[in-house]
Amino acid sequence: MLIIACPYCGPRPELEFRYGGEAHVARPVDPSTLSDEDWGAFLYQRANPRGLHAERWRHVHGCGRFFNALRDTTTDFFAATYETGTPRPAGTPADGETSR
Amino acid sequence: MSGAFRLPSGGRIDRSRPVRFTFDGRDCRGFAGDTLASALLAEGRHLIGRSFKYHRPRGFLSAGSDEPNALVGVGRDEAHYTPNLRATQVELYDGLVAESQNRWPSLDLDVGGINNLLAPLLPAGFYYKTFMWPKKAWTSFYEPKIRAAAGLGRSPGAADADRYTQHYAHCEVLVVGGGPAGLAAALAASDSGQRVVLCDEQAEFGGSLLSERQAMIEGLPAAEWAGQAAAELAARANVTLLTRTTAFGYFPHNMIGLCERVTDHLGVADPRLPRERLWQLRAREVVICAGAHERPIVFPDNDRPGILLAEAGRTYVNRYAVQPGTRAVVFTATDSAYRAALDLRAAGIKVAAIADLRPEANGPWPTMARKAGIDVRTGTSVTGTSGRLRIRQAQLAPIRADGSVGTSEPVACDLLLMSGGFTPSVHLFSQSRGKLAWNANLGAYLPDVSVEAERSAGACRGVYGLEAVLADGFAQGAAAARAAGGTTSPVRGLAVKATDCGHDASSARRPTAAIACSPRPSSTGRTTSPPRTSSLPPARASSRSSTSSATRRPAWPPTRARPRT
Repeated sequence: MLIIACPYCGPRPELEFRYGGEAHVARPVDPSTLSDEDWGAFLYQRANPRGLHAERWRHVHGCGRFFNALRDTTTDFFAATYETGTPRPAGTPADGETSR
Repeated sequence: MSGAFRLPSGGRIDRSRPVRFTFDGRDCRGFAGDTLASALLAEGRHLIGRSFKYHRPRGFLSAGSDEPNALVGVGRDEAHYTPNLRATQVELYDGLVAESQNRWPSLDLDVGGINNLLAPLLPAGFYYKTFMWPKKAWTSFYEPKIRAAAGLGRSPGAADADRYTQHYAHCEVLVVGGGPAGLAAALAASDSGQRVVLCDEQAEFGGSLLSERQAMIEGLPAAEWAGQAAAELAARANVTLLTRTTAFGYFPHNMIGLCERVTDHLGVADPRLPRERLWQLRAREVVICAGAHERPIVFPDNDRPGILLAEAGRTYVNRYAVQPGTRAVVFTATDSAYRAALDLRAAGIKVAAIADLRPEANGPWPTMARKAGIDVRTGTSVTGTSGRLRIRQAQLAPIRADGSVGTSEPVACDLLLMSGGFTPSVHLFSQSRGKLAWNANLGAYLPDVSVEAERSAGACRGVYGLEAVLADGFAQGAAAARAAGGTTSPVRGLAVKATDCGHDASSARRPTAAIACSPRPSSTGRTTSPPRTSSLPPARASSRSSTSSATRRPAWPPTRARPRT
């Protein structure tokens, strides 16, 4: 069972969390100006990297809040967790790079 | 003949507490501290089971959890019956009821043994090719009959009457295995005051130390030192000791599954206690001290009762004070079996000969064996054994310079010890997704790249020799405590007085390969085509350099998300 460090509550077992999809996906300011392709891409196209991946998690059986996490999809180790609305921590490799 | 093969003194059994049990309905006696295996051997019983298909007679091979043959059913009634337990792991208690499996009508006279004689007529897939007609008879008649004839234990006839519980726990350092490396690691790790859990599958801490006859640690006999180290650990408030506890699973982020057998060793247990307890333990750092398994050697009819691993023979003699035989032949490719031979000799067992596959053996133990007057035959192979329900004689044949096997000579014996070197036990490391690397010098896979926050220590990473193992265990335990946030650097000189066997370098490399590919020689001693010994890789000077990579860590991330609880 994974251990996930909620930035508000501290490390908790995986059972308390729910996955929330890719992080840092900004909703277009004015969707009506977007082409169908761009809108479709915003809605459906997500990265699926092998290696580090910035994603959202929700501490659903705890504080209930969303936060962001950097998880290596090959090893399931979390490189960092950080509050929603804050940028990705400096010094971590880019998406898709492996943590090793 | 109760306990006819029990030595008059010695061993770690409690002679003041005799124990009665039954095996296949026959009354037997043993002592507290015995396993079912050692008590049966003390009664002179080597035949313990029948093989799966051909019903070949099978005896004890090992003395621990690596036992492949001695599977028995244990339980006072159907609701407490457990099939397929290893007799080497069943602790003796008053009133234990054990039965052999896969035989009819009795273990000594097994009708299924006819399969062994018919074996040449039974090619692979025989059943499916032969029992084809009438078509319906396969499911209704043939298959049930074949299934009844094969198989091992039977299912219990009543629902399980026992209770089982589970337990969640956290610790900074978990040490798996309570042998020399594990005890040293726990001593070092607990020095910093962090929570340490030490678990071992046996009833007593000490592992291989409990089978030592001469080795001394800190001025004490090895087994005594193990007891003292365990007592020292028990006195520390931050240490949890778990005996009879098997670490069976390594789950992500250092969650370890432990199975603690709470009441299996008690004849009359407190009804409030569960039978087993499942621990789900979250450790910040894990030190794996799983030790190594001795390898058997492959030769014709090496499954006869009375053929044991050398270290198992040593354990029965030194730990349980049991003579596993009266006249032994030792077949080896390593120096460690010479130590076993000398231990047997000290217990009054005649060692008829030591057959060494290697062309020469000049280490300290072979020298001692020669000095003791044992018939040491280097460059010699065992080409076969005979005896119906127990080994009666072994065929020893010289290996010539060109690799061919010479004329064999029968040597009478009722015990054959074999040793083909050691294989590090890397199961838990592999479960943690760690990568192994082949070490040609040791002829074994060793832990290489770790994924989880764990490290291996001692024989399970190819470090042999008591002094080196203790030092390695201590260093890894201290390193684990530091990695888990400890600040102290414990220092302790674990002075050892023991003669090393030199398991590495010149030991188990070529000869096992040579015998594995050697053709089956006929019992008349005819010369057969040569097994190649010259094509094997040359020995390297040192093994230690390659083991240093066992602790290599990924460079990134520098810290991982780990529990702080």
